[in-house]
Amino acid sequence: MTLVGLDLGHDTVLAAEHWIHDLVDRLGRPAGLVACTHMASAPRPHVVVSLSSPVAGLADGGTAVDLDPEGGRAVFYPGVDTLVGRVTVGHILASTAIDRIVVLGGGDPSDDQVVETRDFVRPLWSGGVLTLTTQPAWDGLLVPFETPNPTPCCADHR
Amino acid sequence: MTGGDLPAALDGSIPDSELNPGDLSRRGFLRNAGLVGAGAAAGAALGVPSVAAASDSHTPAWNDDDRHGNPRWQGVGYKWLAGDHHTHTQYSGDAMYRVNDHVRHASAYGLDWLVITDHGSVQHAKIGVEKVNPDIKAARKDFNDVLVFQGFEWNIPGAEHGTVFVHPGANEVAVLKEFENSFDGVVTGTTASLPANEAVAIAGVNFLAGAVNSHRVADALFLANHPARKGLDSPHEIRGWRDAQPRIAVGMEGAPGHQAAGFKAPNGAGSGRGFYDNSPTADSFAGFPPESYRTWGGFDWMTSTVGGLWDSLLAEGKPWWITANSDSHMVYADNSTRGPNSDFTNNGFFNDPVYGGGLNLTQGDFWPGYYSKTHVGARDFSYAAVMAGIRAGRVWVDHGGLIGNLDVQLRVKGTPFGVTLGDTLTLHRGAHAELIIKIDLASQPNWSQFVPTLARVDVIVGEVTGAASDKDAFTAPKTKVVKSFDVSKATGSVTLTYDLGEVGKAQYLRIRGTDGKRSAVGLMGASVDPAGPAIDVVGDADPWQDLWFYANPIWVLPRS
Repeated sequence: MTLVGLDLGHDTVLAAEHWIHDLVDRLGRPAGLVACTHMASAPRPHVVVSLSSPVAGLADGGTAVDLDPEGGRAVFYPGVDTLVGRVTVGHILASTAIDRIVVLGGGDPSDDQVVETRDFVRPLWSGGVLTLTTQPAWDGLLVPFETPNPTPCCADHR
Repeated sequence: MTGGDLPAALDGSIPDSELNPGDLSRRGFLRNAGLVGAGAAAGAALGVPSVAAASDSHTPAWNDDDRHGNPRWQGVGYKWLAGDHHTHTQYSGDAMYRVNDHVRHASAYGLDWLVITDHGSVQHAKIGVEKVNPDIKAARKDFNDVLVFQGFEWNIPGAEHGTVFVHPGANEVAVLKEFENSFDGVVTGTTASLPANEAVAIAGVNFLAGAVNSHRVADALFLANHPARKGLDSPHEIRGWRDAQPRIAVGMEGAPGHQAAGFKAPNGAGSGRGFYDNSPTADSFAGFPPESYRTWGGFDWMTSTVGGLWDSLLAEGKPWWITANSDSHMVYADNSTRGPNSDFTNNGFFNDPVYGGGLNLTQGDFWPGYYSKTHVGARDFSYAAVMAGIRAGRVWVDHGGLIGNLDVQLRVKGTPFGVTLGDTLTLHRGAHAELIIKIDLASQPNWSQFVPTLARVDVIVGEVTGAASDKDAFTAPKTKVVKSFDVSKATGSVTLTYDLGEVGKAQYLRIRGTDGKRSAVGLMGASVDPAGPAIDVVGDADPWQDLWFYANPIWVLPRS
C-alpha cells in the first residue's frame, strides 16, 4: 500500500500535528479519516503528513510524496474521540482503529487492564496494524508510550 | 587498547606491567626525575608548569588519606576516587546554583572530583565560559578535598549532549571557549542530524586531540551524556567519535542524571526516571526501538541491555566506558530559587540563588554524590590521574551507595596478580583464567539513611568479534549473562570467583549487581539475561528502591 502524503517541510512532529489540527478545524473531519505524521530524512530530517481521505483545499503549497505507511503515527483515526481519561485495553481494541496494544518490556496486556490515556493517544502503523505501545505507570496503570508534554531538551525546569 | 600519540613511557593508561623493558626503564628515569607522577600521569608528564602546580597542590594533603583522615582504600593498587562529570550552575539557562553550592555538597556527599558542565549556548560561549572560571578556581582553593574541573556540556553537532572537560591550566578557558565557538551545535547552528553536522562533531573531537598534542592543555576528554534519551546518538556517530580519537572520546553515561524525576506526584515530578520521557523526533535514529527512550533500573538502554548497544561496541574489542552522574540543575525538594532580577539572556548567568520558601517537589535532580557515583581507579589524588583513570576505563558506577568497594581482577589461574577494569589480560591460548570479584558490602548508610543490601552479582561475557561491518549495529549476539551469584545472605565482604576455563578466543567480561528489588527478563530474552533491570515505571519510580552497580569490562586475549 502506498499513501499519498504531503510534504510541508515541518521540522517537528508537533508542528506537523498542529497543521493537521488546523486543517480539520477549518475544513471539518471526514468520517473515517486517518491522519498521520511520518518521519522523513531527506534532504534533511523533517516531518511529512498523510491523510486517508481527500480534503478540499489541502495543497497549501505542499508537495505530494509517496509514503510507506509503516511507522506512520496516527493523530486522527476512528474512535480517537473516545480515548479520554481512563479506558480499558478491551475498549480500545473494540472501539477504535487500534488493533494491537503492547507493553514495553512486558508483552500483550489483558483486556481489563486500565490505560490512563492522558487524553493523548498516538498509535503507529506496524506491519499493517495500527499499534499502540504502552508502558507501566503509577498505580498499576498503563500509559501510552508517547508523553503529551515531554521534557524538552535543555528544559527550563521551572 | 591504547592509541594516540604519547610515547608509551608517558602514557598514563599503560601500566608498568605492560611496558616493554626499554619504555619501563625510561619511565623509571622520568619518574625519578620527578617528571612522571607515580601514575605516569599523561598531563604532568608533558610538563606544563602551571598544570603541574595545579595538580600537585592537592596531592600532599589528600593523596594518602581521605578528608576524614582515614587512609584511602586501595584496590589493585589504585585509589578509587568518586566523582561526577555532569553538573550545571547559574551559568546554564536551565539551572541556578553557584559552583560553590555544588562543590560543597559534592564534598559532603563523598565525591573526590567534579566537573562543572554548563550548557553550550550563545551566552555561555560569550560570557559564561569565562565568568565561571574564577568561581571554579575559588572552589579549588576553598575545597582542597575535591578536584574541580572546568568543562561544559557540548551540544554535539547532529547528536545529543556530551561532557567535554580539560585538565586545569593556563589555557583551560581559552581552549574550551574556542571549542565551544567552533563546534557547539547550538552556537554554530549544527544540531540537525545531517552528515555535514556529524562531520563537525568529528572535527570537534579532533580539535580536542590537537589541543592536547600541542600542549595547549595537558589533557581533554569527551563523554556522551544521556545517550539514548532522544534517540539522537546513532550507533555510527558513537563509533565515529570513538574511532576518530579513542583517547579523547572514551565513553558515555551508563546512567543519566535526574534520578529523582520518577518520584510519584504530587510529592515528586511524576515523570520518567532520568526525565527519560521522550519519543522519536525527525532527528532521531530511525532504527532505535521505543524501549530505547526509557530507563531500565535507572540506566540508559544502551548500557542496561545485555547484548545491546554497549556490548556491540565492546565486542569490537575497543574501549568505550560508562559513567553515572547527577546532571544536577535544580535539586528535588530544595527550597531555593533563582536570585531576583536575573537576566540570563543579557548577563549570561542567573543571580545567586535565594531562599524561595516552597519545596521544589517537581524537580528531578540530586546533588552531586547524593545518589550517583563514578568511581575511578587513580594512581594518585590529582587531576591528571583522574583523567588517566577514566581514559583507561578503571571505572565502576553505583546508585545509592549499593556497595562499599569493588576490586575486580582477571588473572591466569594460580597467579597472584591479574589485570583490573578497562585492561586486557593477554595469555597463552588455552591457559586457564579466572575472574576474582571482591566486594566490600555497604557498611555505611547511604543518603537516604539506610544501608543497602546487595542481593545478586551477575557476570556478563561477550565474544570479541572484531570491528563492526555495520557501523549502525547495536546488538551483540555473542554476549550474555554467564553466572549469577546470590549474595543476599552475605555480610562484610565477599569474594566471588568465576572460572573461565581454558581461554581459546578473545572475550570480554563485565559485572553488574543489584539490590534485587526490581528485575525482569532482558530485552534479548531469558537465555541472554534472565533477570535484568526492569523498565522504570513512569510516574512512580522510587530510585532508592531499585539500586544497581555496573563495572567496566576487562578483556582477555589469547595468543599463540
